[in-house]
Amino acid sequence: MGATPRYDAIVIGGGHNGLVHAAYLARAGKKILVLERRHVLGGAAVTEEVFPGFKFSVCSYVVSLLRPEIIRDLGLPRHGLEILPLDGTFAPMPGGSEGDYLWRVNDHAKTHREIARHSRLDAEAYEEYGKAMAEQGKFVKPILGMTPPDLSRLSADVLRKLTFLGRRFRDLPEPDQHNQVQLMTMSAVDFLDQWFETDVLKATMSASGIIGTFLGVRSPGTAYVLLHHYMGEIDGAFRSWGFAKGGTGAISNAIAAAAREAGAEIRTQTPIAQILIKNGRATGVALENGDEFEARVVSSSVDPRRTFIGMMEPGHLPDDFVEQVRHYKFRGSSGKVNLALDALPDFKCLPGPGPHLRGAISISPSIDYMERAYDDAKYGRYSRRPYIDCVIPSLTDPSVAPPGKHVMSCFVQYAPYHLKEGGWDNQRDAFGDTVIDTLAEHAPNIKNIILSRQVLTPLDLEREFGLTEGNIFQGELSLEQLFFLRPVPGWAQYRTPVKGLYLCGSGSHPGGGIMGAPGRLAALEVLKDWN
Amino acid sequence: MSNARDVIIIGAGHNALVTAFYLGRAGLHPLVLERQAVAGGSAVTEEFHPGFRSSTLAHAAAPLVARVVQDMGLAHGGLEMIRPDPVVFAPSADGRALVLYRDTERSGQSIAQFSRADAGKYAEFARVLVRLAGVLQPLMLKTPPALRALSPGDLWTLLGAGRALRGLGSRDMFRLLRWGPMAAADLVSEWFESEPLRAVVAARGIFGAALGPWSAGSGGLLLLRAAFDPEPASGVCFARGGLGKLASALAEAATQAGAEIRNNAEVAEINVRDGAAVGVNLASGEVIPARNVISGVDPQRTFLRLVNPTHLEPGFVGRVRNYRSNGVLAKVNLALAGLPSFSAVKNTRDGRAALAGRIHIGPEIDYLERAFDASKYGDFSADPYLEVVIPSLSDPELAPAGKHVMSIYVQFAPYKLRGLEWSRERETLGDTVVKTLARYAPDLPGLILHQQVITPLALEERLGLTGGHVFHGELALDQLFSLRPLLGWAAYRTPLAGLYLCGSGTHPGVGLSGASGANAAREFLKDWKKRDRR
Repeated sequence: MGATPRYDAIVIGGGHNGLVHAAYLARAGKKILVLERRHVLGGAAVTEEVFPGFKFSVCSYVVSLLRPEIIRDLGLPRHGLEILPLDGTFAPMPGGSEGDYLWRVNDHAKTHREIARHSRLDAEAYEEYGKAMAEQGKFVKPILGMTPPDLSRLSADVLRKLTFLGRRFRDLPEPDQHNQVQLMTMSAVDFLDQWFETDVLKATMSASGIIGTFLGVRSPGTAYVLLHHYMGEIDGAFRSWGFAKGGTGAISNAIAAAAREAGAEIRTQTPIAQILIKNGRATGVALENGDEFEARVVSSSVDPRRTFIGMMEPGHLPDDFVEQVRHYKFRGSSGKVNLALDALPDFKCLPGPGPHLRGAISISPSIDYMERAYDDAKYGRYSRRPYIDCVIPSLTDPSVAPPGKHVMSCFVQYAPYHLKEGGWDNQRDAFGDTVIDTLAEHAPNIKNIILSRQVLTPLDLEREFGLTEGNIFQGELSLEQLFFLRPVPGWAQYRTPVKGLYLCGSGSHPGGGIMGAPGRLAALEVLKDWN
Repeated sequence: MSNARDVIIIGAGHNALVTAFYLGRAGLHPLVLERQAVAGGSAVTEEFHPGFRSSTLAHAAAPLVARVVQDMGLAHGGLEMIRPDPVVFAPSADGRALVLYRDTERSGQSIAQFSRADAGKYAEFARVLVRLAGVLQPLMLKTPPALRALSPGDLWTLLGAGRALRGLGSRDMFRLLRWGPMAAADLVSEWFESEPLRAVVAARGIFGAALGPWSAGSGGLLLLRAAFDPEPASGVCFARGGLGKLASALAEAATQAGAEIRNNAEVAEINVRDGAAVGVNLASGEVIPARNVISGVDPQRTFLRLVNPTHLEPGFVGRVRNYRSNGVLAKVNLALAGLPSFSAVKNTRDGRAALAGRIHIGPEIDYLERAFDASKYGDFSADPYLEVVIPSLSDPELAPAGKHVMSIYVQFAPYKLRGLEWSRERETLGDTVVKTLARYAPDLPGLILHQQVITPLALEERLGLTGGHVFHGELALDQLFSLRPLLGWAAYRTPLAGLYLCGSGTHPGVGLSGASGANAAREFLKDWKKRDRR
């Protein structure tokens, strides 16, 4: 091969974090090359026309916490980002011929009346709870925007950060301090038990605590995720809780446009075979086709295991670091079923079309239901009756389906990557059927309106999107893998034992979800090292 | 209030007795009021069947804090502690048994039959635990920092802990920080590959708690226990004559130090005037004025039953109500005509001696987790996790010649059953336990002369443990250290002047160690001396 172009930085992976990372570096005037394995950008934040005329947000399907500073800095609205509201959570309940439901919307008065149908006390508590959570959210948000301290060395920076956190905590009013420590230590259900009595309310709320983890709603450490919802809501400046017009891929495309505008070069269908390392320093990457690219810095937005074990020759890393990487837990627990529909699902408990179909439809009728779904997974099988979170974006954004038709995306948990018996390849359809059967218990017409269905098991997520063990967050969001412990203790500052090699994906703080924070924070660290 | 006592201590459990001792030694004359006929709380020995004696609840002591043993002169009293070795006998379904000893080398030989690799890892794991315990142990005898508005003392504690932590070096430091919130099952699978060993070690993270090995935070409980006993599989620690002997030794030391202990004196109410405790009323109607009251009973009983909640700020009462204290542990005592023959014993090199320590029934992580699952739905385990001891092996006095006493902790038996009544389920639970044991010791059922089953409900009624929780409240991350019993109230003081807590519902609150009692005494005396000076 001839003279290889020399870049300031090569970004491995064109997922939303990789693109954010590239955009920030390019805006700093650096020469950046982004290399994406697939034919389409976005990683797990993609829109694909899976069936002719039906566009799906194949993996990630709602925008929750896309950082406002990123939206601002990269001018994403100018690059075509439009967020449409995702209003409400509709939770159908079994029972009798109709069954009941709990339907929460952003309109407080409505929600108050609705919850009061189930419990007056809870309706009052819900207001209080919302206020308290908003306060907690404010406390936590700065942490999403900070590089975790490295506790293994007592630098001024570490002390500054620790005292900063200490002070913030100390300055909280006493009840908020109480809530804060509880959120960080309790299970979602134990936490909610203190506020509410209605089972279905606690069940659907606690569901947000387990998404993408291998934990149950009663497992300690699931409470703090309850915050994410409220943090999404209070990023009021720019509505950041909803759908992207044109599907989740539109977010990635907007970020990519911003990166290109800043001068970044982005190539798809260029799978990387290896990270090149010369005497302890990353010097570039080698593609599967043999081509090599050199750069001063290599930033990997793929997960730690793929980066350190998949793309590196052994011997470049200290043994105990490699051991830590092997201990880093993925064990994906969720799957995705995407449906092309001929009409809208008709729910027994609230028949006909209506605004209740425009938000999230959460199959989480009771706490026991959630726990039993988890129990199945613990012993290595997918849930016989899974927790399902559905959205029908075509109701809000007609551009994603042919006239009169609809796309419905169903997030399904639990679907453990490691099955005790058999493999996913011969259980994919059975899994898909289980999901449909579960939905049919609430919306019997579903079976007759499905034009086509796409079933993504954790194994498929790994194969197709490179998500190791099918974990949608590039590594479990459990307490021991968060903040200064993510991905491995002592290496939570986006740097790695290899000079010039950085991590900028969801495997680093603050983790998964369409936030963009890891990509941005990593970029700031790279620039810090350059200056 | 001239005729008022200086201090009343409610309950004569082991922590209360330790507190009483230290107060006595400081020149006070605390009056200890015990509901039962004998001091000891959860650690009393009773004759549950003619000629057969066992502890109603606690059948073994976590090693008492060394300083307490020394201060109270327990070593050179009549008290003799027995620490059997082998430590653990864990039979598997396949007829083999994992036997662990105080000597990791010997343990290694037994572990090797399941995994050679684990044998080596076990020794390393043991060394790591010793190092981590070196940092944690001192914290057990410290008053947890308030977190909000840190006092100089708090800062000192934190700085000390921080320094000790960094002294470990990054590797161990991060282990400590990681393991706390971890699931015990994850922790052990990072170290070991053989299920029997994984299960025995992980069990320390769930004993007495509403946690399964897959519950996050069970790693923290494992560490907390390791702080008192760094052996990977904690050994049991008997008192010759039954654990009641330990209680009476504590009671005697307290009395000699100047405390007065009154049994059969049930406190019905803590009297409060102008936001301060001013004494107690006994169930008998007797009124005993006092300048200070120290409660050895659990937080919920103290603040919701003994104190009239109207004396407390509603927010505080609400938080006490939310304090989680529903037990999952039941107790079965068996009087046996002879020593049951565990089939796996023949595959050990110890013979019957293998049974002298802890017999662990819970061969796999999944077994333990399934046992836990039942409790989530308000049922007790069909295949329970059992911690069994046969104290009569090392202490023949406890049973008639040739006969034996078997004492069994049973998990999971939730305090709140769904659609069932403990009054009716008691014997079913007992039979479930016997059936489970019979799988490993087929001749057991034929040897049973008498079976005593103590449900969580009975623990509440007989021992006054709210929710039947043997540790005075759930041992989960949100109720430990600075959060035990409540954030802002972990310093043994309460919102009421002159009212203190000294029981297991305070830090560290796990096992029969006396640490809570010693810490409470220290904090009380600080205040006492301040008031003296005025």
